[in-house]
Amino acid sequence: MDTVTLTIDGRPVKVEKGRTVLQAAIESGIEIPYYCYHPGIGVDGSCRVCIVKIEKMPKLQTSCSTICGDGMVVSTRTADVVAARAGVFELLLINHPLDCPVCDKGGECPLQDFSYAFGPDQSRMEFPRRTFDGEGVKADVDFGPTLMLNRNRCILCTRCVRFMRDVEGDAQINVIDRGYGSEIATFQEEGVHSLLSGNLMDVCPVGAITTRDYRFKSRPWDNPDAADTICTLCSKGCNTTAWIKAKPEWAKGSRLIRFTPRFNPTVNGYWMCDIGRFEYHWIESDDRLRVPLARVGGVERPIAWHDLLPQVADRLAAAGATSPGSVRFLLSAHASNEELFLFKRLAEHLDLERRLSTLDRERVEPEDVVTVSWRHTKKTQPARTKFVVPAVDAPNVNGARALGLAPGAPGSPQGPADVSALRSAVEAGRVSALYVFDPGPDGSLGDTRWIVDARASGALGLLVVHGVLLTAVARAADFVLPGASFVEKEASYTNDRGRLQGTARAIPLPGEAVEDWRILVKLCSALGVPIECDTFESAADVRGAIAACFPDVTGLAGLATLAFNAPAPADHWLQASNPSERWKWDVMFQDLPPVKGSVDPSALPPPPGVIPLRAIK
Amino acid sequence: MSFHPKMAYDASFHKSGRTLTEAGEPFAYTPENTARFESIVVRYPADRRRSAVLPALYLVQYQQGHVTANAMRYVADLLGITAADVEDVVSYYTMFHTKPVGTFVINVCRTLPCALNGAERVTEEICGKLGIKPGETDPSGTFTVVEVECLGACDRAPVVMVNDAWHECLSPEDASKLLDDLRARGEAALSGCHHVVESRRL
Repeated sequence: MDTVTLTIDGRPVKVEKGRTVLQAAIESGIEIPYYCYHPGIGVDGSCRVCIVKIEKMPKLQTSCSTICGDGMVVSTRTADVVAARAGVFELLLINHPLDCPVCDKGGECPLQDFSYAFGPDQSRMEFPRRTFDGEGVKADVDFGPTLMLNRNRCILCTRCVRFMRDVEGDAQINVIDRGYGSEIATFQEEGVHSLLSGNLMDVCPVGAITTRDYRFKSRPWDNPDAADTICTLCSKGCNTTAWIKAKPEWAKGSRLIRFTPRFNPTVNGYWMCDIGRFEYHWIESDDRLRVPLARVGGVERPIAWHDLLPQVADRLAAAGATSPGSVRFLLSAHASNEELFLFKRLAEHLDLERRLSTLDRERVEPEDVVTVSWRHTKKTQPARTKFVVPAVDAPNVNGARALGLAPGAPGSPQGPADVSALRSAVEAGRVSALYVFDPGPDGSLGDTRWIVDARASGALGLLVVHGVLLTAVARAADFVLPGASFVEKEASYTNDRGRLQGTARAIPLPGEAVEDWRILVKLCSALGVPIECDTFESAADVRGAIAACFPDVTGLAGLATLAFNAPAPADHWLQASNPSERWKWDVMFQDLPPVKGSVDPSALPPPPGVIPLRAIK
Repeated sequence: MSFHPKMAYDASFHKSGRTLTEAGEPFAYTPENTARFESIVVRYPADRRRSAVLPALYLVQYQQGHVTANAMRYVADLLGITAADVEDVVSYYTMFHTKPVGTFVINVCRTLPCALNGAERVTEEICGKLGIKPGETDPSGTFTVVEVECLGACDRAPVVMVNDAWHECLSPEDASKLLDDLRARGEAALSGCHHVVESRRL
């Protein structure tokens, strides 16, 4: 790696050749404010707040567009830089309304933060501000199905324009008019229609672009905890952060307040799609299964777990004793590796019991009775997009392949699921019991209408549904077992490129729902399965057993030592800010006084020869 | 349009107050203009067809007098860019009209040298004679008066541009005569002007 060494604020900094001064400063933890630069969408140089003094250059330079040179001497805090920067901030606030209390971005707004830290303490503006569609929230107008736009707040950094052009691949947003009348707009106010539109809220450094889903629902300080997790709504496995609203357990409303992307260069970069961002309401919806149900006299009634499990075990064992393959499993590819493994063990055991009791020698392999299914929907995206949303709406097809439950090698292309064999067997009446496991949103299992039809026609004797939502299949079941969604359990998934990742336990389980691995272990115990079941104390033990059974299998390597995140307090005053730039908060502003926390700013020595930042009274 | 199954979107609810461009009739170049467009677009590299957006829009304006939303879409399709990109250009340049204009568009320069030499009086004279305000078209649909910034002929200020022809050193009396002349002789009145802009020969 070619490197160059430069001096920033008297500190020698060594960076890779070709980096800009701003990137060098960020990497070494030196504060330079910026708006138009974004690591995911490149340099524009339009906001001018990142100006620095570089020796031997005639004027102040924008650090975001200046490439580091060997021996460069940069200062970010000399008197002229501080004054010029404050001037730029004063100009940015000439037309930006100062109504932060009614703005949805308030509390996590880079303009707010940087103006506080680097801007002048008062404005000399005496004239009315330019307004486009009214004042305050009245100026919020439609910006497509997912977004709202407030043009008064826009500072014309053009991040949204460049995101649509460079990342999304369809330049639907542009700056129209010119000079003082410039504004962000879509063609004839048609709005942004994109599968990646939610990212525009992330890249917007002010409250101009907000999402319909999150706006005015919560404030950053109302979300004291955030859990770094992954999204499981498709096979990509984007790294995300689940934001958790502070709320007593008995209060109405959901705790899960939003999902935002988390930077991971090898999976999703800085972005996530709208499906993952906005499709989370099913987790805490009214359709969520909260208690186990059993069909008594044709009606599903709540039942206690300790009554339910022996009944399910007895019925499954009785059905399994009849003929080879009479108990079949239909698993969603939303099932994690742990759950798939336990289902495989369960299927093996049921077959063993049958062979022992009937003295039948015909052996049925787990892959013959376990069918893994998923929905496959082609997403409409521009041909030039740099963020492709895969067609498979399930996170763990490769995990099922690694465990031998789905056809194909882990990492190979994923097409639609094939459940025709199971379907014809069920419709022909050759299946006496079907166990459906679907811990994903409604519909992610693919077409399930035929199961309901088979129940109605009497072709299917026993239907056990284990899942999270009261779907049409669950309504037709004899037994319903409430499980956990992906934000309520620590589970591992293998994404479309064979990368093993884990979800975090962000929120507690609703009602009497139980984590899925635990349900399966208890069911195995009730069936008397002679595996290590009784020794499993946690999902980690299951992962240990998988690692022991499948050492060095592609897509499962490192399973035993996989680390899981937990909700962490977002208590630093900037940690809850603009999530796609969270890395910035981790390195910048470390010597500024946090509103909450324990860092004493006066204890941190300023770098030599610098003018200290404005004291906060 | 994509996958937003549960997001409520009522486009009439929080509508922006921005004035939209009239959609107009479905637009397509005439065969002559298509030929002219093809001869223009080959001036640019094949992967930079978007560079031809300005001449392409001028052709639209020559053909139908102003640029409609459908015309913007048509140009975007021709050049392989989005309609938003074209709207960006149309809204940036004052020489593109998004509303119907008169046969003669009178652009009066109001930048400093012209202003010092009495451009305001020229505007007043023209507007008074036509009974309209700057930016408006007279009821007969013959004249549109627009105040513009520098037209690049400061040495002969004040300057007025009628369609593509400059008229320099204009006094209010000259302007009044010019109007009469344009009414009487139509296009021919433009021939006696000092300078013709090159884009005429596009």
